[in-house]
Amino acid sequence: MSDALLSVRDLHVTYHTKGGPVPAVRGVSFDLEKGGSLGLAGESGSGKSTLAGSILRLLPYGTDIEGQVVLDGRDVLSLNPGGLRAVRWTAGAIVFQGALHALNPVLTVGDQISEPMLVHKTVRTEKQARSRTVSLLGRVGLPDNRADSYPHQLSGGQRQRVLIAMALACDPLLLIADEPTTALDLMVQAQVLALLADLKREHDLTLVFITHDLSVLTYACKRLAVMYAGRIVEEGPSWEVFEDASHPYTRGLAAAFPTIGDLSSRLAPSGLGGDPPTPANLPVGCPFHPRCPLAQDACMTAEPGLRPSGTERRAACILV
Amino acid sequence: MIGLGILFVFVFIALAAPLLADIRELNPVFARAQGNPQWAPPSEFPPLGTDYIRRSVWAQFVWGSRVSLFVGLAATVLTIFIGSVIGIVSGYIGGKTDGGLMRVSEWFLVIPFLPLAIVLASILGRSIWNIIFVIGVTSWPSTARLVRAQVLTVKQRLFVDRARSLGGTGWHIVSRHILPNVSGLILANATLAVPISILTETTLSFLGLGDPSSASWGKTLEEAFVNGAMIRNAWWYFLPAGIGILVVVLAFTLIGRTLEEIANPRLSRER
Amino acid sequence: MGRKALGSLLTFIFVLVFNFFLFRIVQKDPIGSLFRGRNVPQQTIDNLRTAFGLDEPIFTQFFYYVRESLQGNLGISYQSRQPVWDEIVAAIPETVILVGVSAILSALIGTVLGIVAAWRRNTWKDHGITAGTMVFYSMPDFWLGMLLLVGFAVVFPIFPVGGFATAGSSAAGLDRLLDQLNHLVLPALTLTLAYLGEYALIMRSSLLDVMGEDYLTVARAKGLRDRIVRRRHAVPNALLPVVTLTAINFGFVLSGAIAVEAVYSWPGLGKATADAIRGPDLPMLQGLFLLFSAAVIVFNLIADVTYAYLDPRVDH
Repeated sequence: MSDALLSVRDLHVTYHTKGGPVPAVRGVSFDLEKGGSLGLAGESGSGKSTLAGSILRLLPYGTDIEGQVVLDGRDVLSLNPGGLRAVRWTAGAIVFQGALHALNPVLTVGDQISEPMLVHKTVRTEKQARSRTVSLLGRVGLPDNRADSYPHQLSGGQRQRVLIAMALACDPLLLIADEPTTALDLMVQAQVLALLADLKREHDLTLVFITHDLSVLTYACKRLAVMYAGRIVEEGPSWEVFEDASHPYTRGLAAAFPTIGDLSSRLAPSGLGGDPPTPANLPVGCPFHPRCPLAQDACMTAEPGLRPSGTERRAACILV
Repeated sequence: MIGLGILFVFVFIALAAPLLADIRELNPVFARAQGNPQWAPPSEFPPLGTDYIRRSVWAQFVWGSRVSLFVGLAATVLTIFIGSVIGIVSGYIGGKTDGGLMRVSEWFLVIPFLPLAIVLASILGRSIWNIIFVIGVTSWPSTARLVRAQVLTVKQRLFVDRARSLGGTGWHIVSRHILPNVSGLILANATLAVPISILTETTLSFLGLGDPSSASWGKTLEEAFVNGAMIRNAWWYFLPAGIGILVVVLAFTLIGRTLEEIANPRLSRER
Repeated sequence: MGRKALGSLLTFIFVLVFNFFLFRIVQKDPIGSLFRGRNVPQQTIDNLRTAFGLDEPIFTQFFYYVRESLQGNLGISYQSRQPVWDEIVAAIPETVILVGVSAILSALIGTVLGIVAAWRRNTWKDHGITAGTMVFYSMPDFWLGMLLLVGFAVVFPIFPVGGFATAGSSAAGLDRLLDQLNHLVLPALTLTLAYLGEYALIMRSSLLDVMGEDYLTVARAKGLRDRIVRRRHAVPNALLPVVTLTAINFGFVLSGAIAVEAVYSWPGLGKATADAIRGPDLPMLQGLFLLFSAAVIVFNLIADVTYAYLDPRVDH
């Protein structure tokens, strides 16, 4: 589609480790139109963070990436280093998980936010960078004086806001939020989500939201894609997918993460037993079949592809 | 791996010394009686030439390996023993004992190692056992610290509490639970401590504090230096001992680092 | 800050005590030793003994020791019959020059090598640097000195064989300075090579630790060049432990140069120690030991303070 801001085609990402090649992403394709919002859900090891990293080519040296990633009309995977650096943070920016480790401990928060502005020359002087930094901090709900604080002096929620402000430094078209609310307590989670929704509206951002908590995605995104073992196993409008999942895995995942703020639903048992497979050791056939309550013989031999399961919905299960 | 190989060679040399070189060659009177030339290069007197009082350098190298290795290992054993005991006691008992012992080790760490060794050696006199004692007594703090940290980690683990609640006595807990978990680290630390002991002995001998009756590599270097081997460019005299030390120390360091990676997997990362 | 200074003071006091009692055990008869081999009437010896307070209880003697030490009176050298204090003070500048130059050079070069080794991990550069520095670190420093001496002063007589300046030379001003520099080259080279390895190794492992941190990925995601990521984000964090090490090492290298000074007859504290050993010139050794310990304590304190100043996570 020509009006898609982000277009991913048949993406394969393989890490090379001492134990051999590990396929983290095995053929993912999707489109995201300008102004849209896509949620990527899945447990750890599903490949969602790898997918996010590959959009800006931030994967470790020596990792194999095949396929196509087109961002704002440019094929990211074939850009030369200079072109790649220019695209980063200006066309697309990432909000990382707010652990203390995402921020450099020896630089002030303000310096870290100003840095990309000066590098990409989106402002002309340091003074301008400083005033823009302060206004960004204000926009995410932090007082001005925080610009001179060091990361360890801020709370977890404050650091997350800093990361959001930092991501907006160069006014990107695409914002990828990688687990921005994990490790935050509920109250703060809600605040951060509300903030992201506001910012999206104000700056007309295109959003990719990654998490393992499905309920959060229903609030934040219009469309939802569920990943398992390196592939998308279900995709569609977020509320529909959440309320009426086509894929058994999605059903289990939805049951595991009740709605935000609804404390009673937290007590309901999750539908998912067992652990997700390690990418290096995938089961034959449908990778979900060992944990699937509806597994049949055919599931153990062939891996199903994505098939239509409703209007603008797809799921990778033979029962669809 | 290479380290082990090298080590084998040298242990062999040390143990097989009597077969490789005649010990009487170390006696200057004997050497003179043999009619050895003075300061002879290897071309004249294979395999490694002679020194200032006509002794065979090869004999000194072979027999010196024994002393250097022995002192290095013995001193390390002493260091590790003192350090481990203090570390285990300190970590296990905790409280005031721990605080006190750690204070003491802190003081030892601050005092410069070599001067302390020199002072002690000067006072105690020149003998092998004194050297071993001196090295052991000055090097224990770092081992003690490491062991104590490990003991604390182990102590926190559940199964020690379980053992205690099952009625295990202090000694039982220490030997059954703490020791096995700590021994890997101790071994790695010991292997890395040997080079320090060997180098310290070498330096002490070079400065004249070594045992006059034994012929360690350090002593060889001291005699070479004092008797002008360098001015004469008698390379055959001072090169072998130094190379011997270098290679043995390297061997222990390599092995030690590998052991360290095994004992503490946290240290080996692959990014 | 005050606490740290107090701790250092306590340690120094401990050193004083230790020093005193250690030497007392051996120096059973200091006056006798002083006049060993000389024909001195017993009465003179007895008088001196009283004058020095040696017939008093040991704690009184300790008190005298502390008082005298703090006033700079460290006794008389057996060998030279000169005050220990004077001998030591005369030797300090030479050692400071040698150790200072070597420590700075080895810290600078070692750190750079460590950065290169870590950034190009597991390449030939890394292996080469690691192996090379390990080899230098595994040899006795004085032996390296001997090799360099033979190589560059005997076989290829480029540099002088030892000493601080050409003996009997009447050169002055710039000529003299150049002459001294000429003499400095080999000993400084020896110490630098010997201590290079430690800095390289620590910097390398510190940088490797930092390289796994997320904020470096973030920096790259922002579109920064590799070089800038390394310079602005990775290295400053990796340098913290190295700075501490450098400061601490200054204190220790002071005493580590003993054997090397002996090899080159460099007239500093190390050579003084080596000479004192041959006596044994116990008052000298006692005084030198006190000085070495004091140096370590002082530099440890400096290291602590510097680290607290540099790392924003430590409140000062």
